Amino acid sequence: MTDFLQFSVIGLLTGGLYSLIGVTIVIVFKASKVVSIAHGQLLAFGALFFWIFMVGLGYPLWLSFLLTLILASLMGFFIERFTMRPLIGQPLFSSFLMTFALFIFLDGAFQLYLAGQTRAYPHFLPQGQWDFGGVIVPKGQVVNFLISFFLFLILALSFKHTRVGLKMRATAEDHRLAQSAGVSVRNIFTYVWIISAILASISGIAMATVTDIHYPLPYFGIKGLIVALFGGMESIGGALLAGLILGLLENISAGYLDPILGGGIKDVAAYVMLLLILLIKPYGLFGLARIERL
Amino acid sequence: MIPLFLGASIAHKEGSEDDLISTNLVALSLFQIVGEGRMLSLSNIEVVYSDVILVLKGVTLEVPDGKIVALLGANGAGKTTTLKAISCLLKTELGKITEGSIVFDGQRIDQKNPEEIVKYGIVQVMEGRPSFENLTVEENLIVGASSRKNTTGIKRDLEMVYNYFPVLRGMRQRVSGYLSGGERQMLVMSRGLMARPKLMLLDEPSLGLSPILVEDIFKIIKRLNKKEGTFFLLVEQNAMMALSISDHAYVIENGRIVMDGPAAELIENEDIKEFYLGLSKIGKRKSYRDVKHYKRRKRWVG
Repeated sequence: MTDFLQFSVIGLLTGGLYSLIGVTIVIVFKASKVVSIAHGQLLAFGALFFWIFMVGLGYPLWLSFLLTLILASLMGFFIERFTMRPLIGQPLFSSFLMTFALFIFLDGAFQLYLAGQTRAYPHFLPQGQWDFGGVIVPKGQVVNFLISFFLFLILALSFKHTRVGLKMRATAEDHRLAQSAGVSVRNIFTYVWIISAILASISGIAMATVTDIHYPLPYFGIKGLIVALFGGMESIGGALLAGLILGLLENISAGYLDPILGGGIKDVAAYVMLLLILLIKPYGLFGLARIERL
Repeated sequence: MIPLFLGASIAHKEGSEDDLISTNLVALSLFQIVGEGRMLSLSNIEVVYSDVILVLKGVTLEVPDGKIVALLGANGAGKTTTLKAISCLLKTELGKITEGSIVFDGQRIDQKNPEEIVKYGIVQVMEGRPSFENLTVEENLIVGASSRKNTTGIKRDLEMVYNYFPVLRGMRQRVSGYLSGGERQMLVMSRGLMARPKLMLLDEPSLGLSPILVEDIFKIIKRLNKKEGTFFLLVEQNAMMALSISDHAYVIENGRIVMDGPAAELIENEDIKEFYLGLSKIGKRKSYRDVKHYKRRKRWVG
C-alpha cells in the first residue's frame, strides 16, 4: 500500500507538469487548428535559456526568469510570424509539416549546444522532502505542481473572463466568422503562440529542476502531445485531467513492472496509452462537442 | 437643405439675381460632396473564384447615405458574392476582385482584410446566421464589438441591442448553439450592431423563418434605419418583403445588374412581378415563351 501511494504521489506531481506541457499544444490547436510537435523543443530551449542566464552568466534568479520569458515570447512570436503565418490559407497539413521542420531544426540546435553532456540545473527550489509514514513527497516537485496548477488557473480564468480570451474562443470556433465580427485572427494566432511558448518554457524550467538538462528533455513534448490527444485536443480541462492520468499511469506501471522487466516501462506506458486512446476514443476525453440541433 | 438655405440667404443680402443662382449652385454641389462622402459605391466589380470561375461580370451599384437598398436575384446570380466582395470575406474562400473598385466614405476598401472593413463601419451578417455556437448569447454580442478600441460603450450598446431585440435579454446566458432559427437571426443581427456599423450587409435575413417573424425582423430593420441611421444593403429571396421596406433596388442576374430603380417603381414592373413576385395577370397562362421574351429583354438591358 505504501508503494502504491508513493508511486501515485510522484505520478500526480509529474502529471501536473505533463498537463502544463499538454495545454501549450492545446491552446495552439484550439486557436489555429495546427497540431504542433515542436513544443518539446520550445520547452527544452526555455530550460536552456534559464540555465545560460543563471549558471552561465550568473544573473540572479528573478532576472534570469524574466529574460527567459522574454526570449521565449520572442521565439513564439518569430515562429508564428515567419513559419506559420505564410502558411495561412494553405492546407493544415503543411503547417503540421512546418512544425515538424521546426522540431528537427530546434532539436539539432539543442543537441549541438549540449554536445552530448548533461548540464546540472541550479537548485533554487526548496530541497528536501516530507515523509508521511513512509510516503516520501519531495518539496521541489510540490512547488512545481503548485506553479503549474496556478498557471492553469490563470489560463482558464483569462479564457473565460477577458476580452482577448473571448476573442480566442471565438477564433477557435470559426475563423471566418470571427473575422467578419472584426476579430483580427492573425493577431490572435500571434498571441496564442507567444502564450504557449511562455508556458512551455516555464514547464521546461520546472521539468529541468527534476531531470537536469540532458538530451532527452525535448521529448517531454511528445508526452505533452499524448496529453493533448487524450484530453481531446481542444479542452483545457481535459489536458489537466489527462496529464494527471498519464503521470499516474506512468509511475504506477513503472513502479510495479520495472523491477520485473528491467526498466523502461515509463516511456512505454505513455505510448501504450497513446495507442489505446487513438484506437478507442480518437476524439479524446473532452473533444469539443459540436452543437447540432437535429 | 441647410447649406442651400444659407447660400440663398447670403445671396439675398447681396441682392443680385445672378449671384443667387451661382451661390445656390455652389452650395448644392458642396452639399452633394458631403453627402457622397458616406456612401458605398461599387463600380464595375469583377470577381473570380479560384482564378477561373468568373462570378461577377462588372457589377455597379450604390448605397446612398441613410437608405435601404435591396439586391434581388435568382440563386447563383451573384448576390452573396457581391456582399462578400464588399466585406472582403472573398479572400477566405479563394475569391478575388480582379477589376473595378469599391469606395466607402471616400476611401477605397477593396483589397483590405475583413476585420479592417468592420473598422470602417461595414458589417456583413452572413447567410445561414452562423453564431459562435459554444459561446453564450452575451459573449457572442461582446465578440461583435471586438473591432472597437474603447470598451466603455459596450454596456450601453448591449442595452440598446436588447431594446431592439427584447427576446435576447431573457437568454443572455444561454449557449447560442441551442437557439431557434428566429432567435439566432436576431442574435447575428445584434452581433453586427455591436460593431456600431454605418452600413449593414444582410444576407437573406428571412431564410426559413415564419411570415410573422419575417415581418418583425423587417420592421426592426426599418426602425434601425430610422433611429440609428444605419443604412442597409439587403439581399433577399423574399422580393415582396424586401421591396416593401427598401428605397432602391437592383436586380442581378448571371453576375450582371440587369435592372435598377426606386423600389416603388420596381414593385409595379411587369417583369419583376412575373419572375420575382410570382404574380402574373390573372387568367393568362404562363408559358415558356414569356420567359424567353424576358431573357431577350434582359440581354438588351444588361
